[in-house]
Amino acid sequence: MSERRALLVRLAPALLLVGLAAAWLLPDPASLRLASTDHAAADGWKAALDALPDEPTVLVGFDPDIGTYPEVRPTVRTALADLLNRNARLVLVSLTPEGRALLVTELARLRRAGANPARLLDLGYLAGSEAALVSIASEPPVPAGSVGEIARRLADEGIGAVDAAVVVGGNDFGPRSWVEQVGPRVEGLPILAIAPTVLLPELQPYVASGQLAALLGTPRDGAAYRSLADLGSLNRLREVSEPPLAALMLGLLIAVAVVGQAWGGRLGAQLRTTGRDGREVG
Amino acid sequence: MRRPTIAGVVVVVGVLLLADYLVVNASLGELARLAIDAAILVAAGAGLAAVASLLLRRGGDLWRRRGDPVGAVLVIVGAAAMLIAGLRPGSSGASDPAVGWLLNALVIPISATLFGLLFATTLSAARRSLDGRAGGREASLLVGVAIVSTLLLLPLSGAAGEWMDQASAWAMAVPIGAVFRGLLLGIAIVAATFAARTMLGIGAADE
Repeated sequence: MSERRALLVRLAPALLLVGLAAAWLLPDPASLRLASTDHAAADGWKAALDALPDEPTVLVGFDPDIGTYPEVRPTVRTALADLLNRNARLVLVSLTPEGRALLVTELARLRRAGANPARLLDLGYLAGSEAALVSIASEPPVPAGSVGEIARRLADEGIGAVDAAVVVGGNDFGPRSWVEQVGPRVEGLPILAIAPTVLLPELQPYVASGQLAALLGTPRDGAAYRSLADLGSLNRLREVSEPPLAALMLGLLIAVAVVGQAWGGRLGAQLRTTGRDGREVG
Repeated sequence: MRRPTIAGVVVVVGVLLLADYLVVNASLGELARLAIDAAILVAAGAGLAAVASLLLRRGGDLWRRRGDPVGAVLVIVGAAAMLIAGLRPGSSGASDPAVGWLLNALVIPISATLFGLLFATTLSAARRSLDGRAGGREASLLVGVAIVSTLLLLPLSGAAGEWMDQASAWAMAVPIGAVFRGLLLGIAIVAATFAARTMLGIGAADE
């Protein structure tokens, strides 16, 4: 490797950061758009929320992982704000430690932004994964000392007090477990899901079969939903800003260029070898 | 020597849960709930034991001056900081502001940074897979498909963007979805077979 090339390789991470920072500061050009042109998933999500009764009680299973959470975070924040704007009562629970850590930060954010605390009930972290889900499917465990209408209704009526479940999934625990463990045990409970793209192949069949009432499973579908959601006075609960498209574009192009250069070189070498072998045989 | 205890417990609990799932009976429900509560407690205990084991291991490393002392100190100090923040007198546990600060200011940004490094390491791994003798036709195909998939994700507007959006949705739903679901079906069949063998006492689940 030449000295100049070695220097370039050494400087590449710093140059990448500077480029991304510059792109981050640029206004998004009109030629870029994240939201999917097909609004079916976003419309499905809105329709599932519209079908809920007035002032619904919604059980939120919050188990994203730190690695993929940035992909779904703007959509999750909009969805929580949307539910609160529909006067929903949110009962939040986590079945993974990472999900719990992220839920703690989201609850703190909601409190700071002035969300009505009477509309939120934190069930905390439950160990046991699927076993905990089975337990939730009969009697969601209300923490000792919990007061307010949600806690009272949940303690009295158990899962019967819940009108829908919204599941925020991650790599460790996701909507599939809810469909498998809660769906068959609680008849008629609509399960809505927000998940990173990596979970899409395993979740799509559940949407087709109706076991998931709605799914936002790609950044494009999430962006389409965010563009449609009317949050009224709770617009302040949205993510402060949408993902910067210029930075996203630059990152993807750099990835394609870096890998494409090696791939093109490899392909060229293979073609040359095949051609030489062909000539030798000829 | 075979130990039938574990297989016996699995069979009894499995049959109990299945029966509770299929039959509406208050007594059966109570028994099933006991089993589920026990499973939750065991899982919680296992989590605590794992953390304690990690701390003891790292503490032992420091004491005996082996391994990575900086890593050991960071693990012990990090765990101690979180435990003190959440368990000190007057703390409100996981929702305490001190715990929130540790999560918001340290844990989540540091974890996100580690995941951010995946951008560079994945690109590097993709390039390396094409190098020299390791770079066979399979690697070329894999990287080629990855490049096309990435191009389809470019957030363009207009007719081109719409076409790419539809193409990426099709790719996800049809070829990628088919492979993923095939894998999931295979894993599910193996898991079901293993569970059935365990419940029927066949094979080496407890050996």
